[in-house]
Amino acid sequence: MLTKLKADFEEIVELVNKAPAPLQELAFKMILEQWFVANTTLKAPAIAAVVPPTPPGAPGSVPEAIKPFLTANAITTDILGKVFHPIGPGAQLLVSDIPGGGKATKLGNLSLLLCVKQALESGNFSCTLKELRELAVHHNCYDSTNFSKTLKAKKNYFKPRDKGADLELSGPGLKKAGEIIKSIAAEV
Amino acid sequence: MDVAQALEDVLEELASIQKEVNRLKTASVSGQALRKHVKDAHKNWLPVAGVLEAGNIVDAAQVQEISDAWTALVKLANSASPKKQYKALLKTIITNTESELLHKFIKGSAIQTIGDTLRKLVQPIGDAELLKYLDESIRCAETNCVRASVVLAWCAVAYMIHKKLRSLGIATLNAEFARMKADRGLMFRGFTKDYVFSTDPDVQEAADAHLILLCRFLTYLDDTQYKHLKSALDLRNGCGHPTGYQPDPVKLQAYYADITQLVLLNPKLA
Repeated sequence: MLTKLKADFEEIVELVNKAPAPLQELAFKMILEQWFVANTTLKAPAIAAVVPPTPPGAPGSVPEAIKPFLTANAITTDILGKVFHPIGPGAQLLVSDIPGGGKATKLGNLSLLLCVKQALESGNFSCTLKELRELAVHHNCYDSTNFSKTLKAKKNYFKPRDKGADLELSGPGLKKAGEIIKSIAAEV
Repeated sequence: MDVAQALEDVLEELASIQKEVNRLKTASVSGQALRKHVKDAHKNWLPVAGVLEAGNIVDAAQVQEISDAWTALVKLANSASPKKQYKALLKTIITNTESELLHKFIKGSAIQTIGDTLRKLVQPIGDAELLKYLDESIRCAETNCVRASVVLAWCAVAYMIHKKLRSLGIATLNAEFARMKADRGLMFRGFTKDYVFSTDPDVQEAADAHLILLCRFLTYLDDTQYKHLKSALDLRNGCGHPTGYQPDPVKLQAYYADITQLVLLNPKLA
């Protein structure tokens, strides 16, 4: 294993150097951790504890599909665990108060969080409008007369879709979702 | 038809009519365009009302009441009529459509799909005894008896915790309770009760709050897991006693996700 690590190390460093300077340490940890997950079945070392290796689909295990999103947004399982519980299939939003000043902002943020919740479940960053309405009613940010308008105003967060179709996060949407998750976790 | 979307569209139209009426400087609404707008909006309302009346999610009497208000509004639009009457009718239709139809429809349609969601969560559970409680709980949820569903699901949790603790043996269990009572740690210093069990069924007499605390003491749960399970027990207690609290399907789903992960599928409690 050590020989393989030596062989791969240069490539890892090369990858780390592509990340912005303040994030390089975190990127190094995450890549190294992924390397250990991929190359060993032994207990992961302390440095690799950011995303612990667990069997896919097990409760509390982060689906593979969401890991690039976590890495790109510098979100650790610790941060994620402050917003969703468990951080895997069956994930539920922990926040009782969705961030945002008004109903429209809250709805927008809720839609992004809901897509991440779905990604923890299935690996797809998407959600149905039915789910969004149900949660918006639950969190008291459902404004029926402006529901469509709000989503339209935030259309850059979602991939192009027809009216009434499911929402799927776009690049800017993923980025914004990452920001919201970090801001919620910072307040907990 | 996507009823929620259709209702939103109707409400959006009504809101724009309301805005136009409010903008008028005259005492009556006489403009042809505005009156036509009202009639067109009514045409969009009719199919939605038909679907709602045929379904059983919202109260048919409420649909009828709102339909009557629409009829009155259309009657106003047949000729020049006072703005005051428009404003009152529009307000009634918008408020009632939102609170009595749309919100209830959204919650009601969540109830219609809650069974599938909950069944998916408990799918990996193989214990027939647990499944009996869970099946009954899910059937309650499907008939909109959310509080009953919460209480019955807790039966499965209690069953599993009792089973695990009894498996330690009565003597060990008594000793562990005594050890927890003697513990001066932050989490356990509030526990002062003496428990002395002599037979297995005695365990059922212990308070669930103390049993889950013992699970924390025995490290079957960590602090965070304990905190979440305690919240689930609080919800169960809120539902099992006469309180004004009525959890919605979203809350029930979160409760199920918690108890499944923390207890029902927790290998430490198996």
